[in-house]
Amino acid sequence: MTDAAPRRAAPAISMKPQRRRSRANAVQTRAAWALVIPFLLVFAAFLIVPLGYAAYLSMFTSKLVGGHVFSGLTNYSQALHDPNFWAGLRRVALFLVIQVPIMLGASIFFALALDSGRVRGGNAVRLLMFLPYAIPGVVATLMWGYLYGTNFGLITQIFQHLGLTAPNLLSSGNILGSTMNIVCWEFVGYNMIVLYAALRSIPAEIYEAAEVDGAGQWRIALSIKLPALRPAILLSVIFSIIGSFQLFNEPNLLFNISPNTVGTAFTPNLYAYNLAFRNQETNYAAAIAFLLGLVIVIVSSVVQTVTNRKERRA
Amino acid sequence: MKTLRSTAVAITALALTGALVSGCSSSKPTGAAASAPVTQAQIDQAMDTPTTLNLWAWVPDIQHEVDLFEQKYPKIKVNIVNNSGATGQYVKLRAALQSGKGIPDVAQIGYDHISTFTQTKSLLDLTPYGGAKLATDFVPGIWSQVALNGGVWAIPQDSGPMGTLYRTDLFSKAGVSAPTTWDQFATAAQAIKDKTGAYITDMPGNDMPQMLGLFSQAGVAPFSYDGKSTVSINLDSPAAQKVVSYWQNLIQKNLVATDPDFTDGWYQGLSRGQYASWLTAAWGPVFLQGTAKNTSGSWAAATLPQWQAGQNVSANWGGSSNAVMAASTHPIAAYELAKFINDDPASTVMLANQQFLYPTTTATLTNPQFSDAKSDFYGGQQVNKFFAGVSATVADNLQWVPFMDSVNSSYDDTVGKAITNHTDMVGALAVWQQQVVDYAKKQGFTVK
Amino acid sequence: MTAIHQAVADPSAMNGHETTAPKPHRTKEREKRRSWLLTVGIWVTLIYFVVPLLWLAVSSTKDNGDLFTTFGLGPGHSFQFFHNVAQLFSFQDGIYSRWLINTLIYSLGGALGATLLATMCGYALAKYKFRGSRVVFNAILVSIMVPLTALAIPTYLLFAATNLTDSPWAVILPSLVSPFGVYLMRVYAADAVDDSLLEAARIDGAGEFRIFTTIVLRLLGPGIVTVLLFQLVATWNNYFLPLIMLNNPNLFPVTVGLAQWQSTAAAGGGAQVLFSTVLTGSFVSVIPLMIAFVFLQRYWRSGLATGGVKG
Repeated sequence: MTDAAPRRAAPAISMKPQRRRSRANAVQTRAAWALVIPFLLVFAAFLIVPLGYAAYLSMFTSKLVGGHVFSGLTNYSQALHDPNFWAGLRRVALFLVIQVPIMLGASIFFALALDSGRVRGGNAVRLLMFLPYAIPGVVATLMWGYLYGTNFGLITQIFQHLGLTAPNLLSSGNILGSTMNIVCWEFVGYNMIVLYAALRSIPAEIYEAAEVDGAGQWRIALSIKLPALRPAILLSVIFSIIGSFQLFNEPNLLFNISPNTVGTAFTPNLYAYNLAFRNQETNYAAAIAFLLGLVIVIVSSVVQTVTNRKERRA
Repeated sequence: MKTLRSTAVAITALALTGALVSGCSSSKPTGAAASAPVTQAQIDQAMDTPTTLNLWAWVPDIQHEVDLFEQKYPKIKVNIVNNSGATGQYVKLRAALQSGKGIPDVAQIGYDHISTFTQTKSLLDLTPYGGAKLATDFVPGIWSQVALNGGVWAIPQDSGPMGTLYRTDLFSKAGVSAPTTWDQFATAAQAIKDKTGAYITDMPGNDMPQMLGLFSQAGVAPFSYDGKSTVSINLDSPAAQKVVSYWQNLIQKNLVATDPDFTDGWYQGLSRGQYASWLTAAWGPVFLQGTAKNTSGSWAAATLPQWQAGQNVSANWGGSSNAVMAASTHPIAAYELAKFINDDPASTVMLANQQFLYPTTTATLTNPQFSDAKSDFYGGQQVNKFFAGVSATVADNLQWVPFMDSVNSSYDDTVGKAITNHTDMVGALAVWQQQVVDYAKKQGFTVK
Repeated sequence: MTAIHQAVADPSAMNGHETTAPKPHRTKEREKRRSWLLTVGIWVTLIYFVVPLLWLAVSSTKDNGDLFTTFGLGPGHSFQFFHNVAQLFSFQDGIYSRWLINTLIYSLGGALGATLLATMCGYALAKYKFRGSRVVFNAILVSIMVPLTALAIPTYLLFAATNLTDSPWAVILPSLVSPFGVYLMRVYAADAVDDSLLEAARIDGAGEFRIFTTIVLRLLGPGIVTVLLFQLVATWNNYFLPLIMLNNPNLFPVTVGLAQWQSTAAAGGGAQVLFSTVLTGSFVSVIPLMIAFVFLQRYWRSGLATGGVKG
């Protein structure tokens, strides 16, 4: 997402008189704004204004007794000392550090395997693996919730058939892993497809040159394919960071089947939701939502800056 | 996105926008009390005008009672929304109240949450609509739950005298009878586990009201509220610790299950006879008629086990009412609906005999159709007579603070979590107490 | 984890190679030996991706009792699929079909609008030099990072203050904003629209608006389809925003509706045993999506190997 593609300079048509050019420019500028403004309007109305409003609300405290008072940054200082908020952040950070590498590792492996052309029925594999992406997160979680069920779930049934004791996949220790599994299931195929497309766009000449040089398949995978996947992987990483930090659907639905192990503050987003609608602490919820956005922007930017720097050095 | 600088620019821009919209303020409905009493003519006119009412309720099959209402008032159409239980309903109701849109006309509200919603002026005072005149129809102890601070805020629907619902087949297989003391209950738990493999009961981590019922039975008066801004919170008392450590002991010995209640897994547990009893209230069976229908007929009701032999103390779990929301645009029809469901003889008998909602009107309580009824679910036991007896022994130490939704979610995260994880419940009790006190102070209450 | 993650749907990737990858690469592989080990390994892992869907399909044929008592992947005692479907479409006055229609309206409305706005804006940023374009583009780039669901509560609060909640607009309007769509369209337009073509059209006397509608839109076709599809998926999957915005069940999209039925099934208990209805509803709701994914695969041409992949 670096501003890599340099914008081409508008071709100057030197034969035209200067006056005509500047008039044409004015027309074009007007046209440009006419095209840009509709987006900017909705952008302002549904992105900037809500954020601004949340920032505004977060500066107040609304008490059940005593009403609405300006409280400056109190909500923010409270959030920074709120163990629930930090526990939620830590949990999504853990999610990020474990789930994202597993998911992307699997995606890279499958993409390379399919690209190598050594798998029979590769097209069918590609499609079937991609299919879970077509399932809305809500339905996926509902479904996995049934599969996890401790008394009746498919996984328990299979363990019992094998004469083993089934693990409680909804226990406190396992619930994060169970959530990771749902997200993996949904997105491995999708990421695989993105990476596969990137592999497919590598020009054949490069392979031919490598083969002429006597490079083996592993060499080619490591020194040509993986580097070529870099930008696609970076994009997936960034989006996974954003996705992890805003985790909501899966824990919110798992809450219904396992309320105590998920809890009301499993992720920062779920916490903000519960603050707003269970604790009537709307202003505080706004502060949490705002802080969360800030954390995501910072983490994503750091990841980008670091990788960009590495790229430049390389 | 090369630099963090652009981020800083964007954030500054956001801050500026914040100033722009600062003119907006959320429009909250105010609890309007219509001053002049409503006349019969106004009522007749309202009930003869085509109207659609929205009713939010979690009582299964409330449609049956609503059908009776619609027969009587054919011009009124009622949409029922089941927001998945009390907690789900309160969250949804808060969201609606905050946005001022999509608020139902009538909502089911537990007695414990009435002051929580009057605190935010979300309920309509029913006095001008004739609410106060209904006082004599209802049992006094129940009426005082809805008539608070000089207003009538809801019409009582049911109460929840607690008893032990137990599986006669499993108990006799284990060779035990219904325990009368908690000590016997613990002994029976071992016998049932050994002989049948079942747990004597389930102690869910997501059901504060049940735990508060057990507290109340042990003499804990957890809350008090002066109706203004002073509350007391007493969740960590020695009596409460006694109850909690009793359960902790059974849980750690693996004699009691800890599955969250009203979930798929829990219904399956009931249906498969994994819990030999359920410490519940009179309304319990209504939840066992679906998935656990196969167990109908093998249940019996007994009193709650006692802390001391010879005592006879019960408690109340749940019980709820129908309130008219302050934002309703059809207050007269809405009031008539709430009144009809809960005060009409046919409707209340139906609620009592078909949905097992323990009645709150004296007429139904003394109606032989109710009191002499034998229940197939209970294998022919005259269960209504039984609960009438329990009703007289309910401890009256339960009061509520006006922020029960927060108390509840805090319970789930502290004591509830300790139950589910089999960790230190007594320690968690102290944390719960602290969280609730902190919340109350933060919300501007004086904590005694 | 849904909204923005799915926003990077790069459908072109499904068959990107067919248009972008040079052919020799493929023909060469045909000659390579298939790997027995790899084939078995991959097909075995495929079980993980397919079994849950298979379970869902099987479950939609069972009644409530069999759902919990028979083996998950085996048949029930009776084949109840048609009964379940009938129950699904008749429960609560057939509100389920309404949810399907709502979902269609929200996702089509949101996706078409967002795509149009993103196309206009992305094209303008790529092909016009004007003061402020850099600032605009940078602001959009930063906003890609703002998580959509973190925005949901602020948006809800704003809508609540302005009385806009509980209406279809409350779901459609916020989904019109797709900064990532603008970004993709800008990158795509930079390559796909030739400057000399624009210049030639201008010399022929075509106005900027006509150039956009007659020339540019056609050139941007594949990119537009891509943005449209990922916006469609994003709104189709949206749950958090409609969950908090909507209170009237008649306005729910199918995701929120099914989630509510699921918790009603649990909490409501009693005679309303809905578990098999919920699962049948889930199954029915994903069938069109799965068909669309398979079917559209052939149409998702070229596109954003440039944008999404080169990024």
